Amino acid sequence: MLTAAIVAELREAVGTGGLIVERNQLQTYECDALAMLRTLPAAVVLPRTTAQVAAVIGICARHKIPFVGRGAGTGLSGGALPDDRGIVISFARMNRMLDIDIPNQRVRVEAGVTNSYVTQRVSSSGHFYAPDPSSQTVCTIGGNIAENSGGAHCLKYGFTTNHVLELEVVLPTGDLVHLGSPTLDAPGYDLAGVFVGSEGTLGVATSMMLRIVRRPETVQVLLAAFDSISAAGQTVSDIIAASILPSAMEIMDRLAIQAAEAAVHAHYPECQALLLVEVDGPAAEVELHMQEVRKLCRANGAWEDRLALSEQERTLVWKGRKAAFAATGRLSPDYIVQDGVIPRTKLPVVLEKVAEMAAEVGLRVSNVFHAGDGNLHPLVLYNRSIPGQEEIAVDLSMRILYLCVDQGGSITGEHGVGREKQQALGYMYSEPDLDTMQRVRCGFDPENIANPDKLFPRPRLCGEKTGKYTPHPLETAGVAEFF
Amino acid sequence: MNDISAVVTAITGAEHVRAADHAVAVAAGSSEEVAGILRVANENRWAVAGFGGGTKQNWGYAVKPTLILEMHRLNQLREHTWQDMTCTVEAGCTWSVMQSGLAQHRQHVALDPLWPERATVGGIVATNDSGVLRLRYGGLRDLIIGMTIVLADGTIAHTGGKVVKNVAGYDLHKLMIGAFGTLGLVTSVNFRLHALPQCVSSFSVPANAAEPLGKMMLKLLHAQLCTVAIQLRGTRQGFSLDVQLSSLQEVVETQAVALRKLAECEGLSTEAAAEEVWKARQGLMENDFVCKGTMLPSQVARFAERVRAAGGESVTQATGIMYAGFPAAGVGSLPQLRSEVEIARGSLMVLQQPPEAKIDTWGTPPDSLPLMREIKRRFDPEGILNPGRFLGRI
Repeated sequence: MLTAAIVAELREAVGTGGLIVERNQLQTYECDALAMLRTLPAAVVLPRTTAQVAAVIGICARHKIPFVGRGAGTGLSGGALPDDRGIVISFARMNRMLDIDIPNQRVRVEAGVTNSYVTQRVSSSGHFYAPDPSSQTVCTIGGNIAENSGGAHCLKYGFTTNHVLELEVVLPTGDLVHLGSPTLDAPGYDLAGVFVGSEGTLGVATSMMLRIVRRPETVQVLLAAFDSISAAGQTVSDIIAASILPSAMEIMDRLAIQAAEAAVHAHYPECQALLLVEVDGPAAEVELHMQEVRKLCRANGAWEDRLALSEQERTLVWKGRKAAFAATGRLSPDYIVQDGVIPRTKLPVVLEKVAEMAAEVGLRVSNVFHAGDGNLHPLVLYNRSIPGQEEIAVDLSMRILYLCVDQGGSITGEHGVGREKQQALGYMYSEPDLDTMQRVRCGFDPENIANPDKLFPRPRLCGEKTGKYTPHPLETAGVAEFF
Repeated sequence: MNDISAVVTAITGAEHVRAADHAVAVAAGSSEEVAGILRVANENRWAVAGFGGGTKQNWGYAVKPTLILEMHRLNQLREHTWQDMTCTVEAGCTWSVMQSGLAQHRQHVALDPLWPERATVGGIVATNDSGVLRLRYGGLRDLIIGMTIVLADGTIAHTGGKVVKNVAGYDLHKLMIGAFGTLGLVTSVNFRLHALPQCVSSFSVPANAAEPLGKMMLKLLHAQLCTVAIQLRGTRQGFSLDVQLSSLQEVVETQAVALRKLAECEGLSTEAAAEEVWKARQGLMENDFVCKGTMLPSQVARFAERVRAAGGESVTQATGIMYAGFPAAGVGSLPQLRSEVEIARGSLMVLQQPPEAKIDTWGTPPDSLPLMREIKRRFDPEGILNPGRFLGRI
């Protein structure tokens, strides 16, 4: 609970209409898309300007109140989960496009602008904003920066971090600074590089300059149907080995195809493994590369390979793929989405092992993945109303991540660590690695108030190894275990 | 000095320690040896300068190290997982040795730094060097996926990993790129790789003035061509816009025609160029004064003209990174040029100048300088790593 004096300070900072403290209204902000974790914040502010954000964080700094920024709340790892003593800074009202500079291929936006809106505003000049998380129609650029969001087309175009030039940031001290620069290679440490993907633990970005990319002349999408995931996986390796860099390569297994098909009728072939390959670029190059891709598909036993020719067909193909998570709700009352990454060549062995692990505990795992960069999205299906099944599902999904690390990969390719995978981060990195990250953390946030108790394995305070441990509500309720 | 030699000899053995120019030079053979050396240096507050090929030691403010930590023994391309298109290379490996190893599977790190025969991976990372390939493939921050670093207190830390897509934890390796060795010593680097191009073809578009070439450069950035590299080269005689196309052979052939037409629309003509034109940046380094400027692409022609007016020559990548060389007579205009570049939201760093010249190296610091100092303090509280070399005398 905040004292009346602090509430008054906050009201002064953002105005009466910009402050929420009523319990029923706070509930909107109690979780992000990792809805199994919920905490009611002490207050929510809805600033309209960077100065208001700085004022709010100044108040947080003076009173040592935790805060977390929030865009659209679409994060999948609990990154925007509030602290029960803390303040949520919503960027819903900071959604202006500040500048569009087509000749230099740059735009400046406020943090609450949605990802798709950037593309919408620059498409008339033949450009787009490349990072394309599946939630792009609603998720915000500020959230994308916190999470270093990716998407299907990152294989060719890179992640959020490759498209951010300059950030206007309010530090946890309340100070306003600019990280990065409108030009490449400005002198100084690459603080923008370390800020992107820091999951709100280093401060809050209020506006940013982004790179936009010229839209390719031609885009072709191929759907290839295989009898096994490993044949589809081998095709992916063969395409890469042939020096072709498609803009996206995605694999969906039978369960995922069924779910997506039922949800959006994407006209996917019925098969064990569907491979989507998108090639873009100058028309002549695309034509030749796609011929080669089709040859490789057939060589690996594809029994159907068809091109989505029209813009409409392509949109439908991608709509099905991007709806795959949500559509899983049709197969199972509950599911956990995971986000492990493995070296591409480990695909067959990892998928086989995942299937074994799932069979051992009697659960189904559906697979949708960004095959080109080895980013798996295993969906662990379960039913919460069956006692004990949620714990088994959580345990299985974590063991899948550990398997990815054992194979030389990562626990997260785009969803972030957040609250969900804090312990798994400790499996991936050693103590010295984490302590080094902690030095950056403490340099930005000496009081540990910026989205505290996220990302790092145990709550840690600057200057000490381990902070006081507060059990999460889910833990006290016996739903989750701290391991 | 004898004490210092004795202490580091205990770590590496006598054959890897020698006296060098008011300092002790020690060559480390592993991350653990680097850690051991830094630990004792930290305890004794000895200033340490990392040393690779020695090609860019004069960049940044001058440092008088007590210990020169040489990296040439750490020179192996340790792992090349060509099917995954990643590699791990030790920091003391020269760029060209690494590239020839990777070329066995027709792959490369898609970056063209200065002096590849002598410059090492670690030094290139510390100075964030990049060439014209940046336009298509990005810079080191886009190509490095992991690192092993040793901090001033001897902590050995791994950052990132061996997969391209990875958002677990902070991107600490980005902090090391371009930090001039002031935050830690990089001992190995993991890169993402690209396939070597199948067919490349270079063209030059000459003109007396920079302006029409600047216009054409912006058009090329927005055109549907498979362009990998574009640079505006300015000599005292005139300017040239150099363009490299890369794709399948039949595609390059048709696009060369399209490029010629595009130039004709601007009243310009295209001629075939030798691959040598891409070494022009390195040629500039012969000048007494050499600067690195950063600017928006739309400003490139304007500042290339300004450099010529000051009697200098320049090579500017279409990404807005300029290298300019000046004879001693032309440097009087540098402060004015820096101020104009900074007003246009760019920067101008003086990379090389004779010892007697006293132009500030780094220019106006950004508003994040206090935060940079704080990060430095957390990584290197005793200030032993290249003390004073970096921006703001960090």
